[in-house]
Amino acid sequence: MDFSQLQQQAKQEAQDITDTKSREEYRLKYLGKKGIVAEIFASLSSAALHEKAAIGKAANDLRTLVNHLIEEKSKKTASTSIKPEQVDISLPGTSSVLGHQHILTQTIDEIVSVFEKLGFVTVETPEIETEFHNFTGLNIPLDHPSRDSFDTFYLDQQDRSAQGRRLLLRSHTSPGQVRIMKEHKPPLAVIVPGRVYRPDAVDASHSFMFHQLEGFLVDEKVKFSDLKGLLTEFCRRFFGKDVKMRFRPHFFPFTEPSAEVDISAGTLGLARKKWLEILGCGMIHPNVFKAVSYPSGKYTGFAFGMGIERMAMLKHGIKDIRLFYENDVRFLKQF
Amino acid sequence: MKLPLNWLKDYIDPKLKTEELAHRLVMAGWEVEAVETVGEEVVLELEITPNRSDCLNVLGLAREISAITGKRVQYPKVKSYKPTADKISISIEDKKDCSRYIGTLIKNVTVADSPGNLQVRVNSLGLRPISNAVDVTNFVLMEIGQPLHVFDYDKLTGGKIIVRRAKQGEKIITIDGIERVLDPTVLVIADEVKPVAIAGIMGGKDTEVTLSTKNVLLESAHFDMALIRRSSRKLGLRSDSSYRFERNVDWQGVLAGADRATDLLLNLTGGQLAARTDAAFVTKTPVKPIQIIPEQIETLLGLKVSLAQVKRILTSLDFKVSVKADKLTVNPPSFRSDIKETVDLIEEVARTIGFDHLPTSLPQIKAKNLTVDDHPRRVKKTLRQALMACGVDEVVTVSMTNAKDLNKCLQKDLKQVRVLNPLTVDQELMRPSLLSVFMPVVIGNFNRGQKNLRVFEIAKTYSPQGEKTTLGLLLTGSRYQDWRLSRKEQMEYSDIKGVLENCFCALGVDVSFEKQGQMSLDESDGSILTVKGEAIGCAGKLNKAILSNWDIKHQDVYFAEIDLEKVFALPAKSVHYKPLAEFPAVIRDVSLAVKKEIPYGAIEKLCRSKGGSILVDVQFIEQYLGDKIQPGYKGLVFSCLYQSNTKTLREEEVHKAHQSIIQAITGEFGAILR
Repeated sequence: MDFSQLQQQAKQEAQDITDTKSREEYRLKYLGKKGIVAEIFASLSSAALHEKAAIGKAANDLRTLVNHLIEEKSKKTASTSIKPEQVDISLPGTSSVLGHQHILTQTIDEIVSVFEKLGFVTVETPEIETEFHNFTGLNIPLDHPSRDSFDTFYLDQQDRSAQGRRLLLRSHTSPGQVRIMKEHKPPLAVIVPGRVYRPDAVDASHSFMFHQLEGFLVDEKVKFSDLKGLLTEFCRRFFGKDVKMRFRPHFFPFTEPSAEVDISAGTLGLARKKWLEILGCGMIHPNVFKAVSYPSGKYTGFAFGMGIERMAMLKHGIKDIRLFYENDVRFLKQF
Repeated sequence: MKLPLNWLKDYIDPKLKTEELAHRLVMAGWEVEAVETVGEEVVLELEITPNRSDCLNVLGLAREISAITGKRVQYPKVKSYKPTADKISISIEDKKDCSRYIGTLIKNVTVADSPGNLQVRVNSLGLRPISNAVDVTNFVLMEIGQPLHVFDYDKLTGGKIIVRRAKQGEKIITIDGIERVLDPTVLVIADEVKPVAIAGIMGGKDTEVTLSTKNVLLESAHFDMALIRRSSRKLGLRSDSSYRFERNVDWQGVLAGADRATDLLLNLTGGQLAARTDAAFVTKTPVKPIQIIPEQIETLLGLKVSLAQVKRILTSLDFKVSVKADKLTVNPPSFRSDIKETVDLIEEVARTIGFDHLPTSLPQIKAKNLTVDDHPRRVKKTLRQALMACGVDEVVTVSMTNAKDLNKCLQKDLKQVRVLNPLTVDQELMRPSLLSVFMPVVIGNFNRGQKNLRVFEIAKTYSPQGEKTTLGLLLTGSRYQDWRLSRKEQMEYSDIKGVLENCFCALGVDVSFEKQGQMSLDESDGSILTVKGEAIGCAGKLNKAILSNWDIKHQDVYFAEIDLEKVFALPAKSVHYKPLAEFPAVIRDVSLAVKKEIPYGAIEKLCRSKGGSILVDVQFIEQYLGDKIQPGYKGLVFSCLYQSNTKTLREEEVHKAHQSIIQAITGEFGAILR
């Protein structure tokens, strides 16, 4: 093989490099996997022993030369003749798409995280409940008008713990209180998020299925002022530190005193001069402690419950509750 | 509850602007839902909580406003009427159903239009004035809260009042003109032969007072609250009376109501009192006095209050309070049946002071007795994150489904939990699987032209065994592709499998996909997911029949459902570090042709079993299904990775292991090297 001729040829052909494409073709011809240099090396195995050193050197020299020529040419192209490929940086980035978490579970996560940071433990309790957990244990007697606000779906399933009674779909997350207190002694600081069901006709603000979050704190010497303080702290963290809120008396069978909490519409950037109800709360009624067999007078505690949909609607300006369950991807992808 | 402010002023003048009065009421627990102006009248629409039936009348609210403002209530002056020697025949079958019935007979009445001032009052309630006799009953009901009824006495057969349960199938036409069929769960007022009123709910047409009525029997009674509630619900019939009875009416108010109405009827109708009978059974044990010391208030509210302050507040609400040393003994008035124990008094104090004036503190949250198994929540969180990273959007669907949709999903044979009182038949069943609630989401989006969907939900499914947390995943339409690639490709089985593999990888769970028929899934494109041999779910292409049932024509739909309760039961991911390889790996590619029906998985499995300890991995590279291969065959390319953690492998070692793999797959599967 005439190596000096090969070198001449390499120099000659290097003159023809005009752009990145021809430069790459040139590189492949000499230095590619099946290029000339590789061929020379491959021929080594069949070469006579005394020729091997010379052939090897020649191949290396050729490689060095070609690399040098390419480098020279590249410098030139950078400065003068050849334009490098332009990247259009305004084209969209390429990556796999990210999915979107539903705004309801995001809201639950957000609220749960506030309370967990304040020391609460999250427990999930069943949706299919007994009358005892949903009503009686919460001081809501049968055939009492206080049941009106807790209209309930009943199931074709028997309650094995109560003769002749049927299981139901919980109408609030408060049965979590009874379940957990039945099994555990105070101190307890627990939140219970989950789905609840009420036979409400569906419209922009009602749904027969929605989500709630129940919270309760039971210990010796828990006070109403603690409830006010905790919920004030929650509202500041969830709605922002300038939130304006008020506690007003209300009635729930399972708390005494009971209150509802409103926040000012102005706080949410709404122009209307109005208070918006966000949650119900109160000091746990002694009858609830009695139902879970806590010693009389030993513990006090508070409980609160809020609607997740309502919180999400207020925070994100969603006007129709049905949007949550329609799952239009245009809605899902906004959050 | 409507509160006409002019009417209120008959008893108390709060001397407050309407807006301020409304605010003060709200902050004392009387939510003002609306302020309406009807002609000259300003009417507050109040929400009265179910425990406060004593405030379902104007005087009750006047008393509350007195406690808030310190102004005094002027009660109307009412004569009292004693039972007469002439008896009205009143018999009460069960005193539990009716603990008091005062009948007052007024003779020689002139039934006519009410005078103007009474009509104004009735109008302000949004009611239509009817006649002096009827308007008086409505007026007294709203003034003091006692429901009343007037009968045309001459139409009561035998002149008798019998309070009894209805007979099965007994009928009555109520004053609204509707015939009601009764049964023994309903209490009625009857004469000798027929029911003349549904007790506490509505009177009968036959015995109603008309312009020709000469003699009037006024009923003022007390009926059992639970009984009235049940009857009213059963009959689907509510009235101002039943609303109050089911919330409990003051037993002592029965007499006050009878006297006030008697007074007005005598005045307005020109009749004479002929007889009064009070059939009373004191069934309730008198309310026990409640003890309270101010420290109890401080303990519960965090607010220091003086004995005198507590006394002043409770007295303003008509409680009888006596003080001995540092203790108060409190007797609530008869109309406050909601006051039973010390906390109830504490609430009265708190409410009257105003919750906004109570102190605020942060609770001490101590170490809990409760240790929670957080594993399920962590699993759900990990899955959510993995799914979102795979580009899948989360949905929240309704928990109920129906037979029609289950049928369309070929799932009618799944065990079902039925809702006994659904709002509509669309929600008659609790969903046994997520498929029948996912399909409407698909259709809804398709109808809006959104044909590429990747959605998941982590929520409950239901069976007679109970509820279980389930993961549903659905993919349809074109695969996500970036703009560098021109062709849009439809998603296929490998897409759903890939998402699931990512999920289980994130959980550190080894899952296998095994071919098995599953009703909803396509025979060739369906698989069962197993962990350690136990099935945990399924994944695959939806059956053609399902697609046609839902009228989906031009694209495949892939669906997976995983029983997460089984995943929760698996041990949490725990990773032990493996030392990184120090010696180089040798890679040998294998390209072969095999019969189409031989699954790649079987070949890989065989390779792994034949490769010996130095075969550390088998990686799939590609599958060729084109026509440049003999008919009935497919091309497969994969690579075998050989490595030792103690030395650099010699060529002969790798060759030997690789040869045994090649021999096995050519021998066992008839594979041909390409």
